Amino acid sequence: MNRTCALFAAALALLVAPVAISSAWAQSMTLCRAKPAMLDLGTTLPISRKAIAEKKLLRIIALGSSTTAGYGVSNPAFAYPTQLRIGLEKALPGIEIEVINRGIGGQDVEEMAARMRAEMEGNPASLVIWQTGTNAAIRQMPLDKFEKTLRAGLKLGTSLGADFVLMNLQYVPAVVAAPDKEAYEKIMAGAAREYSAGLFRRYDIMRGWYDDGMPYAQFVQLDGLHLNDFGQKCIGKLLTRSILGALTGP
Amino acid sequence: MAAVSVRDIRLDLFRGLALWFIFLDHIPTNIVSWLTVRNYGFSDATEIFVFISGYTAVIAYGRMLNQEGWPRTAARIYRRVWQLYVAHILLFVAFTAQIAWVSIARDAPALIEEMELLGLGQNPYRAILEAALLKFRPVNLDVLPLYIVLLAVFPWVLPVLVRWPWAVIAVSVALYAATCQYNWNLPAYPDEKVWYFNPMAWQVVFHVGAACAVFGPGLSRLDRYRTPLTVLAVAFVLFAALIALSWHYNPLERLIPVWVSRVIYPIDKTNIDILRFLHFLAIAWLVRVAVPIDASALKWPIWRPLRRCGEASLLIFCIGTFLALSGQVIVGYYEDSIVSQIVVSMLGIAIMCVAAYIAAWFKGGGTRTPKRLPAAAAETAR
Repeated sequence: MNRTCALFAAALALLVAPVAISSAWAQSMTLCRAKPAMLDLGTTLPISRKAIAEKKLLRIIALGSSTTAGYGVSNPAFAYPTQLRIGLEKALPGIEIEVINRGIGGQDVEEMAARMRAEMEGNPASLVIWQTGTNAAIRQMPLDKFEKTLRAGLKLGTSLGADFVLMNLQYVPAVVAAPDKEAYEKIMAGAAREYSAGLFRRYDIMRGWYDDGMPYAQFVQLDGLHLNDFGQKCIGKLLTRSILGALTGP
Repeated sequence: MAAVSVRDIRLDLFRGLALWFIFLDHIPTNIVSWLTVRNYGFSDATEIFVFISGYTAVIAYGRMLNQEGWPRTAARIYRRVWQLYVAHILLFVAFTAQIAWVSIARDAPALIEEMELLGLGQNPYRAILEAALLKFRPVNLDVLPLYIVLLAVFPWVLPVLVRWPWAVIAVSVALYAATCQYNWNLPAYPDEKVWYFNPMAWQVVFHVGAACAVFGPGLSRLDRYRTPLTVLAVAFVLFAALIALSWHYNPLERLIPVWVSRVIYPIDKTNIDILRFLHFLAIAWLVRVAVPIDASALKWPIWRPLRRCGEASLLIFCIGTFLALSGQVIVGYYEDSIVSQIVVSMLGIAIMCVAAYIAAWFKGGGTRTPKRLPAAAAETAR
């Protein structure tokens, strides 16, 4: 009995030791980062600035799919919309920050464009973060249809009087394996330019992590599609930085 | 009536192991969770738990159906469903109370805000109603509702299952396929949410487990193909391990051909991706080959805590879920230090084991050394 216990303990130690060592090494791989140029949204968020200056209030709608809803994170507060609210509250004392999470798992541009009016009239906001493109790329929605729907949504949304920031695809195995993912990205960048919306380049930011040697396990859930706790928190932090940059920049 | 069959120790042992894994995996930053199955392939402890639950459901109620007829058996199953429901609601209260207590004790408003995000703060009355309807389930409280739904349907499945197990497997697989194809799911709260473990998909694991119990010794027919099946299973488990390893090591990840990634991702958990199910079946087959029912190693005393935990599975599941939240708070308090992760994991498992031994002691009538009940009595007592 004693011997088996000792054997068991030894086996456990053997299993845990290399993991502990490699995880110490991996600490350097757990930094949340992005090149400053990546965080430039390309917009000055005029409506949000006005709301902050006049009403001391910034109301944001996070419109999106499962990443916005926070699928699979160990605490709903880790999802990027809440992280954004927490970050903005810290950075803008005295300003009331509200982030309304309107993420619905499995949706893409079609469903989101269809509920755009209802969402925006239900909660009049100065800024809409529209996270989209991932499900379209995975399901290979025809590119022209994607472009048409996205632009129609943006046109309607901006006409309802809010700033827009498009958040593009996530860099995860399921998306990387999809054909044409860059084409969806390009369409989003073009549409953002045309409607003077901001573009949060999530795909390039996350690709930067991967190219720097950060393994998928650090920022992706085991399904190869959704952001895990770290990925969500980091995107929330970087998005906060981007929006603050746009609000305070020239 | 057939002779009382030998109790299959493997069921309790591996269910206990799954419960330990679920506890370890539910602590978000936990180095000890490297020991759990999910890091080495596609499937995780949920599959083990649901499969064994299906298997033991047949063992517990199949004989009763034969001896006492359908009405009594169905009543018995619904009594069990009720126990599960009560346990779930109790766990829900204890779980949320723990969050409230921690946020008050630590004077951390951020935690109270997290509570709000759990859906309680905005509309507590509605949230409690939805919790009672199993539609509102804060993180990590998803497994019991799945089990409740599966067992609630079981009285209607069981009579068919004992006669035509293949028919049940066929219907179950068809429902699974249709669910994946048409994206069916049950509604949850808040309104746009769905069940994290989709019962219409996960039922396939439960029913295949149940059918295996009906086949019983008949499964030995598969031994004709023992070698090819084992080779296949080993190959698949190795493939899954390679993919899992690639998530940790980018140079290896770059070697995975794009067409392979295109086929395998995403590996959905809500609708249990076919890869997860196959991975579980491969592991189950290998365990069956490596650990026969009469393996002497099963009786080793070091496995006894695992078996005890598996025997009191509902109790240990609830305690484990509750403790995983405590563990998360404690590990967070010590800024994710590795020592805290190891200590919390070991303490948690120790508490689960003590609870399991106490449960066994109670079940044994409170005598000092619990004698194993005869198998039949033990099963009806469950």
